Amino acid sequence: MRTRRSPWLGLHSLLMIIFIYVPILFIILFSFNDSRLSAEWRGFTLDWYVSLFDNDHVMDALENSLIVAVISTLAATLLGTLAAIAVRKVTRRLKLSMNGLMYLPIVIPDIIMGLSLLVLFRLLGVETGKTTIIIAHITFSMSYVYVVVSSRLAGMGKQLEEAAQDLGASPWQTFRHVTLPQITPGIISGALIAFTMSLDDFMVSFFVSGPSSTTLPIYIYGQVKRGISPEINALCTILILVSVTLIFLAQYMLNRGKGQKKQKMLPF
Amino acid sequence: MKKSGFALIPVMLWLSLFLVVPMLIVVGISFMQRDTDGNLIYTFSLDAYKIFFDSLYLGIYWDTIVLSVATTVICLLLSYPLAYYIARSGPRRQTWGLALITIPFWINFLIRTYAWVLLLRTQGVVNSLFMNLGWISEPMQMLYTKGAVLLGMVYTFIPFMVLPIYVAIEQMDRRLLEAASDLGASPWRSFWHITLPQTKSGITTGAVLVYVSTTGMFVVTDILGGAKSSMISNIIQTQFLGARNWPFGAALSVIFVITSFILIALFNKAMTSRYETVKEGRV
Amino acid sequence: MNKKLKLVTLLLTAMLVVLSLSGCGSKKETLNIYSWADNFDPQVLKDFEDKYNVKINYDNFANNEDLLAKIKAGGGGYDLIQPSDYMVATMIKENLLAPLNMANIPNFANLTETLKNPPFDPGNKYSIAYMSGVTGIAYNKKYVTEPITSWADLWNPKYKGKVLLLDDNREVIGMSLKKNGWSNSSTDETQIKTAVDDLKKLLPSVLAFDTDTIKQKMIQEEGWIGTMWSGDASFVAKENKDIAYVVPKEGGTIFADNYAIPKDSKNQELAEKFINYMMDPKVSAKNYESIGYSDPNTKAMEFHSEAYRNDKMINLSEGEMKLTEWLKDVGDTLQVYDRYWTELKSGRE
Repeated sequence: MRTRRSPWLGLHSLLMIIFIYVPILFIILFSFNDSRLSAEWRGFTLDWYVSLFDNDHVMDALENSLIVAVISTLAATLLGTLAAIAVRKVTRRLKLSMNGLMYLPIVIPDIIMGLSLLVLFRLLGVETGKTTIIIAHITFSMSYVYVVVSSRLAGMGKQLEEAAQDLGASPWQTFRHVTLPQITPGIISGALIAFTMSLDDFMVSFFVSGPSSTTLPIYIYGQVKRGISPEINALCTILILVSVTLIFLAQYMLNRGKGQKKQKMLPF
Repeated sequence: MKKSGFALIPVMLWLSLFLVVPMLIVVGISFMQRDTDGNLIYTFSLDAYKIFFDSLYLGIYWDTIVLSVATTVICLLLSYPLAYYIARSGPRRQTWGLALITIPFWINFLIRTYAWVLLLRTQGVVNSLFMNLGWISEPMQMLYTKGAVLLGMVYTFIPFMVLPIYVAIEQMDRRLLEAASDLGASPWRSFWHITLPQTKSGITTGAVLVYVSTTGMFVVTDILGGAKSSMISNIIQTQFLGARNWPFGAALSVIFVITSFILIALFNKAMTSRYETVKEGRV
Repeated sequence: MNKKLKLVTLLLTAMLVVLSLSGCGSKKETLNIYSWADNFDPQVLKDFEDKYNVKINYDNFANNEDLLAKIKAGGGGYDLIQPSDYMVATMIKENLLAPLNMANIPNFANLTETLKNPPFDPGNKYSIAYMSGVTGIAYNKKYVTEPITSWADLWNPKYKGKVLLLDDNREVIGMSLKKNGWSNSSTDETQIKTAVDDLKKLLPSVLAFDTDTIKQKMIQEEGWIGTMWSGDASFVAKENKDIAYVVPKEGGTIFADNYAIPKDSKNQELAEKFINYMMDPKVSAKNYESIGYSDPNTKAMEFHSEAYRNDKMINLSEGEMKLTEWLKDVGDTLQVYDRYWTELKSGRE
């Protein structure tokens, strides 16, 4: 059921991908550059990849960032999706205030979020560290998931769900077999945005972090003054390679299982 | 189904503790005063709000809005066709499309922005390329201009626009398009009267995300614009850091959040009424 | 569609597995340092860890204001911080620092007299200078052929579009105040206004305001002339042989980054032990040789290399040092500075 697409559309998309990747290619290229300040090309080297793995600061920061991003994305996706689904069943006034609340973290400046959370954690006597960063990230990531999933639900309408219920499906069955499959692209897109936001956040993390919970963005911001080392370029290159490989592997595994049980994709 | 409202309770509790309480603290600070060293004095005052109504800060806020609207419009024009292309591809291509759009943005934002500096500076790649091709004889000053800032903003927020629009297009009822084309509607007509109205939830979400994120993103103005202009979020940050005027910073944030909400609500309303009639005809 | 959910699950699981394979800690005494990036020779830190069988946690901040906001809001758990001069004054005022126990820091005697008893912390009750420098003018001899002697040279129309300024209101307005022959910490509003009006005339010449990457802009010859810290200038001159540095005849602003201990430190004694260790002549020479800042340790010079001792941008002459002035806390006039700065940068009134 594919509709015909104009060739211009393909060309535009290709140009967009090029636009997105030109700076990325330069980041990769300069990870092999034989100069600390990465001003211009001074010859090929693999030194930055070697020294990267000896640099405990970067490796610790990477580990912290990944832990925070994975946990906060999982939690935020769960909570945000739950809220987006549940909010459709409540009164209009409650729904409006919920929408307002959920837009708040997206709207407020990062520094306000970071500082006010730090003040709160102090009041509660909580030691700042990885846990507080995760809490902060869940709070703002949840909003992105909620907003994207809500917009998907808004476009879906309630007819299908009502039909399923009229035919005697339980609320769980309706959710599992009607609602969830319909909103999955929304959930995935929301989770992708949440993951990206968490991985890239500096301001909020800066305030709610403590000793030895430095994340990658905090580390990199600190580096700017002395010039960001090409080790970071090397790290970015590896991250991209790993991400692409993982997706490729996952695709491959999914395709192998294809044709057997098409509907049995979810683990429950 | 009424029960599922209870699912909101954990989320509500979470947000009350980690969002509402901190925000109340901020609102509280905005009504306080400061001593000459910047320490807070706990007496009620509207001083911090009065400072804002000054052509300087109003003007900066206006500049911020103009830049954010421009970023949003350009992002929308660039992203819609791309999202359309991805959403209309086969399942495997869709996954790759989404991955291709998102993965570059897992690279730290500063690194990406400094990569643009390498590309745009006078001895940079773009200038060298154009000079070698003979298109220009003198290097162009592209960095540290308003154009560079706009480019950086658009680049940074493309995924925020592509993803929600993708979600909406993927969901569209394609039978309507087929029906329209069976009835002899031109592709442009069916796009304008069917595709666009059906994907407005995605457009609205994307536009709001991009607009709001741009207003808050001043690091781009600092790096690509040479810090030669200020954005309202920049001023807010300075009040908490260099200028040590927390009440004014808090008051600015409160004003900023309220006006952003008003703008979002107006935009939402405009989007809804524009297509109300079309949507009614859908079922 | 379900396919994609599974894919994401797979990705996340893979990451979790990788993560769970790493991470295990020890229970050694820990020193939490909060400072600028790469502010110490890593080998020196390691030597300290080995010698005293402790662990050092070294986290970074990017500017003084971030540091203040974080410590003030109660963040941290740090034992040693490195604020700059004016920030030490502010932190003392706000009661955020612990008084130093000099009995634990006998090597304090090695510190050069010029940095002892500074105006921002009389009697060194709360801080000890770690490194210092002077804001002067750096310029590229390829493009700037006239001799540079005065701050007013930045206003030369020949350098239109090629002037770099630090992105810092006190530094830049202070510079313009000095150009007019006044104190860099003036609290006189008419003086400040005159200085800012001058800067507004300079604005069309300005390529960019930048503190963090101004070095790269000079090395890559994007800018020809600009305000720069002496330590940065020495670094830049090593990368680009055409760069020269001068402290203008009106004098420049002197600054210092310092050791200080936050009030809520749980390891004050260890932090003092660390400061004392760093001020040992041999350790000091090793450390400053590696990071390339001027060594304030009078007994360390003999352990330094020939090249380091001859670097004119690291070791400023006595004449140049005499012309310098510290930035002082201007109290509430800071609001005036901030407002003028905002006007200048936004091009609005």
